[in-house]
Order: sequence, then structure tokens, then C-alpha cells
Amino acid sequence: MAASRVARGGLAALAAGLLAGCAKQGATVQGQQIHDLYVLIIILALPVFAGVEGALLWCVLRYRRRRGDGRPAAQGAGGPRTLGVFFAIPTVLVACLFLFGERTLAEVQRPEPNPAVELRVDSFQWQWTFYYLNEGFFVTGRTLTKEPVVELPVGAPVHVRLESRDVVHEFFVPDFLFMRNALPGRPNEFSFTPTRIGTFRGQCAEFCGLHHDQMRFVLKVVSQADYVAWVDQARKAAQNVDCNPSGPLKLVSKDNSWNTGCLAVAAGSPFSVSVSNLDPSIEHNFAVYPKAGAKQPLFQGPRFAGVAERTFELRPLPKGRYYFQCDVHGPAMSGALVVK
Amino acid sequence: MAIVEPRTTERAPEPQRHWLVEWLTTTDHKRIGILYLLNSFAFFFVAGVFALLMRTELAEPGRQLVTTNGYNQLFTLHGTLMIFLFILPVLVGFGNYLVPLQIGALDMAFPRINALSFWLLPVGGLTILSGLLAKGGAAAAGWTSYAPVSEQGGAGQDLWIVGLVVVGTASILSGVNFIVTILRLRAPGMTMTRLPVFVWSMLATSLLMVLATPVLTAGLIMLFADRRLGAFFFNPAHGGDVLLWQHVFWFFGHPEVYMLILGAWGVVSEILPVFSGKPLFGYQGVILAFVLITALSFSVWAHHMFVTGQVEYPFFSATTELISIPTGVLFFNWLATLWRGRLRFEPPMLFALGFIALFLIGGVDGVWMASPAMDFAIHDTYWVVAHIHYVLFGGTVFGVMAASYYWFPKITGRLLGRTLGKWHFWLMFCGFNLTFFPMHELGLRGMPRRVADYLPDAGWSFLNQLATAGSFLIAVSLLVFLVNVVLTLRRPPDAPPDPWEGNTLEWATSSPPPVHNFDRLPTVRSNRPVRDAREQEVAR
Repeated sequence: MAASRVARGGLAALAAGLLAGCAKQGATVQGQQIHDLYVLIIILALPVFAGVEGALLWCVLRYRRRRGDGRPAAQGAGGPRTLGVFFAIPTVLVACLFLFGERTLAEVQRPEPNPAVELRVDSFQWQWTFYYLNEGFFVTGRTLTKEPVVELPVGAPVHVRLESRDVVHEFFVPDFLFMRNALPGRPNEFSFTPTRIGTFRGQCAEFCGLHHDQMRFVLKVVSQADYVAWVDQARKAAQNVDCNPSGPLKLVSKDNSWNTGCLAVAAGSPFSVSVSNLDPSIEHNFAVYPKAGAKQPLFQGPRFAGVAERTFELRPLPKGRYYFQCDVHGPAMSGALVVK
Repeated sequence: MAIVEPRTTERAPEPQRHWLVEWLTTTDHKRIGILYLLNSFAFFFVAGVFALLMRTELAEPGRQLVTTNGYNQLFTLHGTLMIFLFILPVLVGFGNYLVPLQIGALDMAFPRINALSFWLLPVGGLTILSGLLAKGGAAAAGWTSYAPVSEQGGAGQDLWIVGLVVVGTASILSGVNFIVTILRLRAPGMTMTRLPVFVWSMLATSLLMVLATPVLTAGLIMLFADRRLGAFFFNPAHGGDVLLWQHVFWFFGHPEVYMLILGAWGVVSEILPVFSGKPLFGYQGVILAFVLITALSFSVWAHHMFVTGQVEYPFFSATTELISIPTGVLFFNWLATLWRGRLRFEPPMLFALGFIALFLIGGVDGVWMASPAMDFAIHDTYWVVAHIHYVLFGGTVFGVMAASYYWFPKITGRLLGRTLGKWHFWLMFCGFNLTFFPMHELGLRGMPRRVADYLPDAGWSFLNQLATAGSFLIAVSLLVFLVNVVLTLRRPPDAPPDPWEGNTLEWATSSPPPVHNFDRLPTVRSNRPVRDAREQEVAR
């Protein structure tokens, strides 16, 4: 009897261990707390699951009507006392669950007072832009061709302000055990502290239209020294785009990406830019700024929905490097305008 | 035994009309019930084929079968059709056939409204499907059609909106009809505390249909106004709010979940006592649980929105966890009904037992998501896909199959084949678990929902292949069911009035029942009038 009880206990522990093994360990402080909550819910839920399925199996095996047994079953249908017990058992379980859940929630939701990295994560169909607010650069990808790859230092708290330019998206990093919606008009903020060096995939998890499945990004958690080197290199790369004047300027937007990241014109003469929007019912525009992040545009064309083409006449510009973008989609649809 | 005279009025015999005209113009609740069932299973077939196409596409990474746009249409139509045109209508169909019989009535309270609420369904369903012929294809924003994604897209999305408004109108009408029927047309002696549990479940479902569906209709009209009439309900650039759609949708959508499961709880609570040879354990407790769940279901909607980061966590987490208490009570009552019974494993019983085993998993894995912090890790992943299918397929569809085997002799006068029924059960039980259990693990490994493709190195391929294999096993099991139905219908009708030793009034009349339902009604002195009559017969 005692041995069988031990065996049963061992089996339950083994099953709990197996189930817990299925869940990823969190690669952040907050993610690990969520993992611990997952295990705790297993400990509460597994006995309920095993108890009910076990009782069901027992009834099926034990109370099968035997051949030739015509005796009717006892007609008991329970009273208020049994019903009271039936209500009491789940009430106790739920009360425990609620308290533990609230504790973890408070930990996960706590904002970081002194973040080492402040990110603004901007999302839109179907791409991400990561702005490093203190370092002064951004990283973005190209829809369907290149996913953004960004780095974060291990052990340093990160604060994220998450925004959307069009529809609802969702920032989801499975290894962080965390997702949060990016809502147009309602920015969300959260913090996390990576604890493990590694490469972690992220992906939009809220259905956001045609290419939802391709809206990925990569977070690399690296050592502090590697991070500093990466920031330096990312800053320099942003300065070094160059190209030469060649014929009429033609920008084509397809799948919310421009066909080029560099336009070049001769200094001192007016020029025209033709903008072709091949994205059905999605709006784009063409605007030129003195540099990335500048508020006052030198030229700002109207927004227009695809499929359509517009040509804009621009006044002469002095020699230098300028920045152009689609104001709807921001830096992910941007490039350098070089006036030579 | 009291005798209720059929209320016939003297009238000249009507000329015999073509059978098709008879069926198209019928107001008989039994015929309308059959039309509901046929229509529902037709949409089940279509939506099931869409599911198989999706599973085949996901079997390995890369594009094989459909385009991305095609895939997005598939999951949108699969969800929409399964929920609005199969699960709810199939339960309403059984309700239509059985509620008047179980309460000893001649028909529904409003037979013509009853016919109208049926005929709106194929119209609405075909409107949604007709999007496939539109430029750009059918709606492709998911069955939840979150704004603003649902404000993009072409005519297919408009057809989806219009179709759902039509289907919603059908729900509201039939809800009103059931409520009046159940409250006003009960036979003498059929008090509310003697009402069969299935009738109680349909009463609760109807209340939800009447109270929640208009909210969806309002949301759909707002969405249409945004799309076509220049309104800005969901457009933040003009002072609208994207979260408004989610609040409106889920304020309807969560009661909707209970509309989709209450009927199945009713079916199982009817079948378990019959095949255990015992009364339903804690009848009052089950009714109390139904009432509590119906009331609480209006206070939990924002648990679908934990990941928005913009809702009151403690309130919605507490109400969500509270609702698991009456649900737990149901399980205890079902188990206690089996306890010390004399169990007969006929196909209806197998499906009812399968229902308990599987719906339990759907209940337990929901507990993780009720905790907001845990929900952040699994919400928009395949964990949720597993959960919804353990509730709606492992739960409701197994309940619907139990109901089909249980009431098929009443409806057609023929018992479905027992051996094929057992094959059907075991194939579907195995196929179901093979399809949906691995999805829990896929969710924990971070596979998001509604993706047409995934990377080969994501570590999701093997589990997806298991799921795809399982889905085809389900298809095979349903083929067995279809064969069983066809073979059975080719036999001459031979079912007795009461093949299962039932408890409720539908077993007191012939199989199938006459147009006026009952030649004579047994006196109702408990919630098992037919059993009482059988006992009296034996005593005599």
C-alpha cells in the first residue's frame, strides 16, 4: 500500500517534471518568473487533471454493466452538502491560483526606473524599426527580404516603448516568454532584463494582414563590450550610403519597401521625382528632410493610396546629404538623397 | 395516465404538394430542425475541407499548396463557418427538433419566425462564402476581424460583414423563439424544476443569443460605416480607437463561447444518466452552474485582451477564474452520475465520455491563460489554438456526435450502426488528440497563430506533421460517420419509440414522431417522466 503510494507520487512528480520540461526557461528576469508561474500552475492543475481523468477511467472499468446483471443502479442524486463540497474544491484552487498569478504579474509589469537601453519599437505592415534613443540611430529591415537584427547587452535593463503606424501588431519573443500588442494610437511600455547571451528570434504574433507570417526580427543578446562595438559600427554604417546621379529619379514602393535606399541628383537645378505606389489601398508619400530625425521637411508630398503613380517637382538643393522617407512608414521606408 | 387530446381543428384536407415545396415552406419544428442539421453539416464539411487545406500547407515549411492570401482566407473562413454556421446552428437544430418534444409542446411558439431564422442561415453563409468570387478573394482578417486590419481588404470583407449581420439576426430571432417556447408552452406538470437539462441549456443559450448577438451586430455596422461610409470608429488618426472593436467583439465573443458549449453540456447531461441507469447527479447543481456561467460570461471578455496591456488585470483575471468554479461543479456532477451506475457503452455514451475526457483538457489548459502573466507567454500562439479546439471540438463536436447517435433513431426511425459508431468514435478520439495535443507544445515553442509559413529551423516541423496526420485521421473518422448514416438510411425504419430506455418526453412518442408530436402525453411528476411511466408499467 505504502509502496504503491510512493510509486504513484513518483509518477506524478515525473509527469510534472516532463510537462515543466516542455516550457522554455525564460531568457530574461521577467520571462523566468513567468516560467516559474507555469510550473506552479502545473502543480495545481495536474492533480485535478489526473483525479478527474482517473475517476472517469475507474467508472468506465468498474461500473460497466455486466451481461445478465439486470439489477438497477442505486438512484442517489446527491444533496446540498455534496454540492457544497463540489463548489468548495475549485474555489480553494482558484483562490491560490489568483494570488500567485497576481504576484508574478506585479513583478513582470514593474517598469524599470534606470534602464541601460531605451528603445522605441515601431511596427507597421510588415516590418519593425528599432530606435536606440540614447545612442541616436535606428535599425530596420526590408519587408519580405531582410529582417532587422539588433543587439542588446546582457544583464542590462531594457525599456521599450512600443508603437504601431497602421494596424495592431504584436512584439513576441518566445524565449522571453513575453508578447505585447503594438496598438495604433495607444503606445505600450514595458521593461525586461536579458540574462543569457544568445540569438533570439522575434515575430509579430497578432494577425496584421497579408505578410503577417514574414514580420520577423532577431534580438542578439551579447556581452557589454560586443554591444559597444556593435553600436559604433551601426552608427557608422548609417553615415556611409552613397550613389551617383543617373537619369530621372524613380521610386517604387512594393510591399511597403522602396526599390532603392539612395537617390542622387546634381546640385543647383530643379529635379522631379516620380513615386509609384504598388501597394493596393495602402498610403505612402515622399518627403525630404535635412537629416534623419529632423522635424521640418524641405519637401513633403501628399499621401496617396496604391495602386497609383505621382510625380513631384522639387526646387534646387545645395550640395550635401539629405534624408528622404515615406512619412506613413518612417525610417523603414527611407534613404539618402545625395546632392552632388 | 393523463391523456392530452391533440388540438386538431376540422379543416378540408389540403391538396398534396410536391415534397420539395413541402420542405421549403415547412413551419414544422421537426422539419426545420432537420433542415438546420443538414445545413450545419454541409457547412461543417466545407469548413473541414478548409482545415485540411491549412493543415496540408503547414505540414512542412515553405509554400506548397496555397498562396499567403489564400491561407489567410482559409483560416478566416474556417473559423467563421465553424463557429457561426456549424457549431451554433447544429445545437440550435437539435434544440429545434427536441425542445418542443422534451417539454411536451406541439411546436415552437412562433413557427414562421422559426422558418425565417433557419432560412437566413444559408443566405448569410453563402454571402460570406461568395467573397471567394470577389476581387482579392474572401475576407482574410480572421474570424475576429480585428480593426484596423479588417478596414483594409476588398469586397470579400464587406460580404463577410453583411453575411454575419444576417446570421446574427437569425440567432436573435431563434433565441426569442426558444425563450417564449420554453417559458410558455410547457406541458401540464412540466415545472421549471422538472425541465430536462438539455432544455435548460437551450434556455441559457437563448438568453445569451438575445443579449450578446446585438452587440456583435452593432460592431459590424460600425465596421461597415468605417469602411464604406467614411466613419472613424476604429481609426485613431481621427479620434477613433482600435481597442473599441476588441471590446465590442469580445463583449459578444465570450458569451458566444458559452452559446457554443452550453448545448453540448445539456446533451451530455441527458445522455450520461440514461446510459448509467441513474438520475443526473445534482440536477439543481447543474442548473445553478448553467445560470452562474450564463451570468458570469458577460464579465470576462477582456481576458481575450490581456496582451493589449490596456485592461484591468485583477478584475478580468478574477472573473475568468471564478467561472471555472461552476464549470468544475459540472465535472463533479457528471462523474458522480457515472459513479456506481450500470454503464452501457453504446455510441452516444462513448462520445459523451470522450466529451468529458477532452473538454477537461480544454478546461485545464484554459487555467494557464486565465493568469495574465502566463497569458503573456502563450496568448497568440498555438496554445490558444489547442485550447479552443479542446473546448469546441473535443467538447462541443463530441457532444454533437453524442447527440447525433442518441437522437438519430428519434429523427429518422433508424438506429445508427453500432460497430461503425465505435470505429467512428475511436478514430475521431485518436485523430483529435494527435491533431491538437501537439499544438500545446508548438505554442510553448513560440509558434504564433495565423501564420501561413514558418522557418525550417524553428523546430516546429515535426509537431506540425503530427497535427496534419491527425487531421486526416479525423477526416477518415467523419467519412466512417457518413457511411454509417448512408447505410442506415437505406434500411427500413425499425426503431421503437424508446430504444435507449430514455428519461425525457421525446421517448414517449413514436420514432419519428407524428406531425402533432404526441398522441398521448404521460403525466409529468419528475424530471424523468418516461422512466416513471416505464416503472409504472412494470409495477402493473
